Amino acid sequence: MPLTFAVFAFLLWFIAFHTPQAQAAAGGLAQKIFYFHVPSAYAMYLSALLCCVGSAAYLSSATERRNAIAQAGAECAVVFGFMVLVSGPLWAKKAWGVYWTWDPRLTTSLLSVLIYVAIVVLRAFGGDGDAERRFAAAIGVLGTVNLPIIHYSVRKWGGNHPAVISQGGGGLAHPDMKLALGVGFLAMTLLATLLLWSQARTLVLRGKVRALEERAAAAGLTGGV
Amino acid sequence: MQAPPTHTPQPTVAERSTEFVPVTGGAETTSAEVLVVSAYVLMWALLLAFVALGWRRQHQLSQRITELERSLQKLDGERAEP
Repeated sequence: MPLTFAVFAFLLWFIAFHTPQAQAAAGGLAQKIFYFHVPSAYAMYLSALLCCVGSAAYLSSATERRNAIAQAGAECAVVFGFMVLVSGPLWAKKAWGVYWTWDPRLTTSLLSVLIYVAIVVLRAFGGDGDAERRFAAAIGVLGTVNLPIIHYSVRKWGGNHPAVISQGGGGLAHPDMKLALGVGFLAMTLLATLLLWSQARTLVLRGKVRALEERAAAAGLTGGV
Repeated sequence: MQAPPTHTPQPTVAERSTEFVPVTGGAETTSAEVLVVSAYVLMWALLLAFVALGWRRQHQLSQRITELERSLQKLDGERAEP
């Protein structure tokens, strides 16, 4: 955790004082949103992949730990997805003149976030039975199909969205821009790992507490439990 | 010799209040500083809200575990009594 804080503090300082401003067509100063926007999208991919792995594992053999991993992945994917959807339009306002346009990458990203929101809502309000868990796990696996579509949508269908990363990072003309992005990826990897681990651990514990409650109730411990 | 000034037709009061006509090619005037700060504040707010929710969930769990422990101790005490 201290390492994550240190990397984020360095990243914010580096973006604010060292990273040069981009050209006006890219949004000028607003382009600095990029150094959090892209790593957030990458963290969303990581979380979504973990959700897929956990969901597939749960569908093959249901365990509390696998269920927790799938749910933690979906929850983190929603948070990082909203970070992308909040930061992107604010940058777009300066670069494109509008907050939102139905560009292929924007549309597919929104769709992906909505898929993970659906999983989280289903898990929160649809009960915690095996059928609900399996249904959410199936969405978790199928939802992953959209991730490569987001990534390749710019290449296949064009649109307004820049493709400096898809083009191998060649669009970042200054070494400090590349360094800021690299540190951004490192910071988000650490943060995503921390949040995923913490959420999964809490969900595993919650499952254990529920099992204990059931055993306690069966043993006649109804008062005070 | 000066060219006579050209007058663009002014919209009437009724037109101004009943119709908004988009201006194409207008320069984007939103402050980049405001956009950058808003983006960073909103992203951190989202993250902090998520961490706070996780902390609340953990706190509720630890309370529940304490309650279960107390109930078990009480049960043990009742069973130990002759």
